[in-house]
Amino acid sequence: MDAAKVDLFIMTNSKYFEGHQLPLIRQRLLELDDSMWNIVQVLQFKDPTTSLIVSLLGGSLGIDRFIIGDTGKGVGKLLTCGGFGIWAIIDWFMIQGATREKNQLRLQEALSVSA
Amino acid sequence: MNSGSKKLYMLLISALGAGYIWIIYQLIFTSHQQEKGLTVCLIKNVTNIPCPSCGSTRSVLSILHLDFPMAIYYNPLGFLIVSAMMILPFWILLDMVFEKESFWKVYQKLEQKLKKPSLAIPLILLVLINWAWNIYKGI
Repeated sequence: MDAAKVDLFIMTNSKYFEGHQLPLIRQRLLELDDSMWNIVQVLQFKDPTTSLIVSLLGGSLGIDRFIIGDTGKGVGKLLTCGGFGIWAIIDWFMIQGATREKNQLRLQEALSVSA
Repeated sequence: MNSGSKKLYMLLISALGAGYIWIIYQLIFTSHQQEKGLTVCLIKNVTNIPCPSCGSTRSVLSILHLDFPMAIYYNPLGFLIVSAMMILPFWILLDMVFEKESFWKVYQKLEQKLKKPSLAIPLILLVLINWAWNIYKGI
């Protein structure tokens, strides 16, 4: 893929991924065919800031985990009052990283399915 | 074992450990009929309104005392928690001994199924009904 396009993607979407993943993502995109640009461009990612807000408000009910697609862990949090309240507090600090991990998985899936 | 399943197993082991310690502590120091015990629930401590799973400790203790009607009254979710706490340790142990990932696979399949609206919406409704009942009871 064109380097300018890849850099544009990285610039607009860098907040959705972990910093240490960005070089790998860039490398991967550069190796892709130019026809993939349309697919990559329209991918939707979850915003880490939104999930942090949800975690602060509804973390005890596991809503933050449901939103990023961690349904199993969401159910676990819901059934245990947010993991005795401890998990809910831990997730205030973990949820942004978890969201970025999920985004990375989503990008990987989209690329491997269409490649 | 891949890193995803390892993380999940470690999380479950610590959650089950905390759960067992909590239940044993409650068994030793409180009676299950006690109305106002120690609560760790964030929502209840902050807003004084019970959350959907408040009362499940009392429900689990009632099940351990074979008082099933009281267990349903305190919180029907207690039955789900008791079955999870009985089955999961053995399942995880077997997986670890035989180096398989049977639980991880079932977990992922279940996650996919739960995301379908046809299953998710009724379950959400059930939880909301349980929550309303909890608030009505003042658990």
